[in-house]
Amino acid sequence: MKLYISADMEGTAGVCSWKQCDPSDAHEYPAYRRYMTQEVRAAVDGARKAGAGSILINDSHWSMRNLLFDDLPGDEDLRVLSGSPKPHSMGQGLDASFDAVFFTGYHAGAGTAATLSHTSSPETIYRVCVNGTPCSEALLYAALAGSYGVPVVLITGDDTIVRETLQSLPWAVGVAVKTAIGYTAVDSLTPHAARAAIRAGAREAVGRIEKAKPFSFEPPFELTIETVAVENADFMELLPGFERTGGRSVRFTAGDYGSVLRAFIVATRIGSAANAVA
Amino acid sequence: MKLYLASDMEGVAGVCSWEQVDARTPHPDYAIFRRYYSREVASAIDGARAGGAEAVLVNDSHGPMRNLLFDELPADVRVIFGNRKPFSMVQGADGGFDGAFFVGYHGGIGEPNAVLCHTYSPGVVYEARLNGVRCSEATLNAALLGHYGVPLLFVSGDRATVEGVQAQMPWVRGAIVKESIGAFAADSLVPKAARRLIRREAEAAVAGAKAARPYVFDAPVTLEVDLAKAEQADLVEMIPGFERTGGRSVRFVHADFPTIFRAFVATWRLGAQA
Repeated sequence: MKLYISADMEGTAGVCSWKQCDPSDAHEYPAYRRYMTQEVRAAVDGARKAGAGSILINDSHWSMRNLLFDDLPGDEDLRVLSGSPKPHSMGQGLDASFDAVFFTGYHAGAGTAATLSHTSSPETIYRVCVNGTPCSEALLYAALAGSYGVPVVLITGDDTIVRETLQSLPWAVGVAVKTAIGYTAVDSLTPHAARAAIRAGAREAVGRIEKAKPFSFEPPFELTIETVAVENADFMELLPGFERTGGRSVRFTAGDYGSVLRAFIVATRIGSAANAVA
Repeated sequence: MKLYLASDMEGVAGVCSWEQVDARTPHPDYAIFRRYYSREVASAIDGARAGGAEAVLVNDSHGPMRNLLFDELPADVRVIFGNRKPFSMVQGADGGFDGAFFVGYHGGIGEPNAVLCHTYSPGVVYEARLNGVRCSEATLNAALLGHYGVPLLFVSGDRATVEGVQAQMPWVRGAIVKESIGAFAADSLVPKAARRLIRREAEAAVAGAKAARPYVFDAPVTLEVDLAKAEQADLVEMIPGFERTGGRSVRFVHADFPTIFRAFVATWRLGAQA
């Protein structure tokens, strides 16, 4: 059983501020990157208890070099993707050889009333839809896994992203480690209790692989991006195949999902370039 | 006769350093050279009008693209001002123009004896080619104008720039305002003399416009860009339709030239993020 883990940070127990997730922060980030790593470790341990063999962990947060190697198991059946940018970002390395995907530390999508809710870039992306469905990062990358026939079986994070993801992926196990009080306040399990819950959830999730389904949208895939500001859309519109559909919106359509996801990733990057003063 | 005039600053007489043309972190010299630049544009307009031009659209195409001093320009032209235009240095080009001028242009990246040579983004674009032809900004911009059937009539700048343009478009009249000595030194006319030369050649350019031809690349057009660094190519290769052809190189093929042009703009904008 070969497992892929995409590890984000904002959905880690206790996290309620960007400071805790910002690699340039010297005060809070060092403690929270440890909590993030330990939650990933709990997911690995639970999966291994249930029979998982080879595991690929994709560090998927910010600079994508947050995980503390000393807190991960040392066996040769575990590999870690570190660093950024990666062409498939939070889904780098996914292919049909995997049996299942875990999302750990995930957060709610842009515009939802939840803690640190955003989709890829809070300064640039106001809303992103595939075939008209608003997408969180979880849904975007679940569909990438789905395009390779691989199901997502575990999501851990805040109660909003867990609830929303289970609506689309009812076969998955959700572990809500905290409840949002607002954008920067949470009612959370302690890290210790969160790890126990994640370990148990991971174990259960491996048992669900047989019944789980790959998630996918119907081709052709229509990507619509609403941007925070018009200047973000000005830059996105430069990309071949992109159509400006409004002051703050663009559209891109393709027959294969990987192309659509890469288009979203590159649009986010070039759109964010417009946030500098002209 | 309707004229499109794109103005850049590095090719203005006397310019030999980035400090003279850097609007973002202004050196005191910028204020001086910005006036010389505006006056060269005004001289080109005067000459063009003497040769028969009527309506003139000026596109301020340097740096943040808000350098021209309005009080140095005639009152009856239109000016495109500001940055981040999808067609950048040739914004507003369309089939409604009878000819185009490039004022204050500079050599393409990698050219010897071409002051401040670069092609759009010196830290990102190492070399750009259309259908295998090495491109300066003049080449790229003339090709967009050519797509709309508008011929380039006039170019001013240093010798390398003017002769480079004339090698590709022999019908173009040139005003050589300086001889570059490497990348940061020039043997130049003084601004006053440069303006007289520009005015004279501009008049002749419009008077002789009938001999000029639109500069076009056969479709489908292949855009190849060599980036300065591999990490820039990592980002650029993600643009839809782009192919990574080497550690620092990408290729994009498209039948529609404006799409090619905007993809090139996207290339250096995105590459600069690496």
